Amino acid sequence: MNIHGLQRNFCSAPTTLLPVQLPTRMESHLCGDELQKRALLARALVRTTIARYVDQTNDRVDPRSLNFKKNGYGKPEVEWQIADDWQPPALQFNISHTSSLIACGVTVDSPIGIDVEEKQRKLKHHILAFARRYFSSHEVEHLTSISDIEIQRQQFIKLWTLKEAYVKALGRGFSASPFKTFTIQLKAAAKRGIYLSRDVESEISEISVDSLGSENLTNNWQFLLLELAGSHYAAICMQKHNTLGGKGNVPIKLTARRTIPLVEDECVLGTSAVVPISGLTF
Amino acid sequence: MASLAQASTALSTSCKPTLALSSRVSSLKSVSFSITGKRFPSLSSRPGRLQVSCSAKPETLNKVCDIVKKQLALPDTTAVTAGSKFTELGADSLDTVEIVMGLEEEFGISVEEDSAQTIATVQDAADLIEKLVEKKA
Repeated sequence: MNIHGLQRNFCSAPTTLLPVQLPTRMESHLCGDELQKRALLARALVRTTIARYVDQTNDRVDPRSLNFKKNGYGKPEVEWQIADDWQPPALQFNISHTSSLIACGVTVDSPIGIDVEEKQRKLKHHILAFARRYFSSHEVEHLTSISDIEIQRQQFIKLWTLKEAYVKALGRGFSASPFKTFTIQLKAAAKRGIYLSRDVESEISEISVDSLGSENLTNNWQFLLLELAGSHYAAICMQKHNTLGGKGNVPIKLTARRTIPLVEDECVLGTSAVVPISGLTF
Repeated sequence: MASLAQASTALSTSCKPTLALSSRVSSLKSVSFSITGKRFPSLSSRPGRLQVSCSAKPETLNKVCDIVKKQLALPDTTAVTAGSKFTELGADSLDTVEIVMGLEEEFGISVEEDSAQTIATVQDAADLIEKLVEKKA
């Protein structure tokens, strides 16, 4: 699973991206320049990211040739061309953006949801009032138990991104899985598995989701929570492949790149740009 | 079903099948007409064939605009009108949820997720609010 992050202040020449065909016409009438630029960048990021992972023997896939569609609930997907001699790759993606970062996650053969949020994001409402309205009772309990308001706020943002990522991974719209109907828990897990070689001293905690009384299967989703570029939390949710007889987590092979579409691209996994918080055993 | 008495809209018809709609409501959301034959169907005889969606009261619209402006910390110079889309004003999903919460608090209503998903503009929000307030009454 690969995450590509684009920080907007790196993007210097958006005009070179104009020839990229916009898959939807919805955003073309935006009067806000900023929003239009962001929509363009998001499209460029998705296109170039997916194009990179399509194995076309020696031919590079032209990002402009990709077509997109929306599933029945509005989730964007790649619409692969049907050709006799070509098996479309099982790539799935999801994007999320804030005013200063756009993230695109790509997986092979697994539904994915990603959500990013600025670490410093502050609510206009009181956190617990918001949580009581929208989160599950377990989550409210967890947040209430945190006495330090700054830590409480951070935990809130983490929970928010995780919940968003889950609903986006499910891909059936927010009304299909209202936030109150499932609980995300960060549980401390015993040290196990293979860690990144560097100083992961603290326990890596496990993230799980519990659906309260609905038909959603919840034990086949796994979560990652990362800190990106020192400024953002990123939550990723993807479906597990039950290749190990259904028990335990299949380790995720993760790469992360910081990118300016068509301009620059660097792998940032293992640097301070990507800091795992929870849910990871590499 | 259609209560034209509440909408301050005057419909004037002539013998021709085209309709002249003189509207004193600045943002009438949608009007659909079904005309069979040359005469304008009378409301009493075929109420189901005529639908007029009444737009929300100006006070409701104004309150929604205020809440949106506050949530998104928009400067006073930003124009927020009935047709303004939340996403165009810069709202992300967390903002939108906070806006809905603010509207719930202001109007004493409860907005279900599937209704919340349909709100894209200030007008949508105001119309939904009035619907819910009416249901409560």
